[in-house]
Amino acid sequence: MIVAEQKTLEEIKTLVGSAKNVLVAGCGTCVTVCFAGGSREAAIVAAELRMASKLAGDAKAVADVTVQRQCEWEYLDEIAEQVGKVDVVLSLGCGIGVQAIAEHFPNAWVVPGLNTKFMGLPTEQGVWAERCAACGDCILGLTGGVCPIARCSKSLLNGPCGGSLDGHCEINSDVSCAWQLIYDRLTSMDKLEVLMDIQPPKNWKTSRDGGPRKIVREDLRLGKEE
Amino acid sequence: MSGDLQIVAYCCQHCAYAAADLAGGLRMQYPPAVRVVMLPCTGKLDALLVLQAFEDGADGVMVAG
Repeated sequence: MIVAEQKTLEEIKTLVGSAKNVLVAGCGTCVTVCFAGGSREAAIVAAELRMASKLAGDAKAVADVTVQRQCEWEYLDEIAEQVGKVDVVLSLGCGIGVQAIAEHFPNAWVVPGLNTKFMGLPTEQGVWAERCAACGDCILGLTGGVCPIARCSKSLLNGPCGGSLDGHCEINSDVSCAWQLIYDRLTSMDKLEVLMDIQPPKNWKTSRDGGPRKIVREDLRLGKEE
Repeated sequence: MSGDLQIVAYCCQHCAYAAADLAGGLRMQYPPAVRVVMLPCTGKLDALLVLQAFEDGADGVMVAG
């Protein structure tokens, strides 16, 4: 999932500025399950903004709404009327949701209520950790299902480095050494021979280094109308 | 306690609310500012409920469970 964290109320108040009518837009997918921007969080932020603005003597009308996914036009269509009536939309979606609202509603002013952090998973209740860096050329088949791009601080393809100490990374003892994890896993699977191949430099063109990415699936596109 | 104050008391149905009920049966007094709201369990209490009470004019919120 995409993992995000809510901005502080102070920053949100600054972003909303002097707008009188505000719509707090939650998203029902990734940011709901990481407790950052679902319907519950949208209702709480809306209540906080209403009370904060009232206390400041500048009472705002703040409503909240949550769509299933902010990153698809069809779901955004459901809130078109509400978006059209407000001065600002505070999106509690990830960065994709904020941009989707801006793109779908050219006349709407939209600001982000979250900081989008990474793609990851909950490792325990209340803890999320990064797992994928979307490099665009997956090498998990070479590393026993542990990603050194996302989980090694240096994204090494042939590790570990000299900073690996007792299974931890030199940057922080809370960070596991990804290459130690890879070694342990391949050992337990009796597949250590996988590590005998030295990996050549990775082609980063498929990652962000090649500029913004796009996938076109001709088999899924709608044909042009005659 | 001032008569203008409003305190919302979220009480668990199984303990605090039952206790308040018993206190009432015993004719014990509590300030009229306290408005008791029964919850099936205080585990149901959410930040949103507390904010809602304040938004609706409560001066304080009490949780008993």
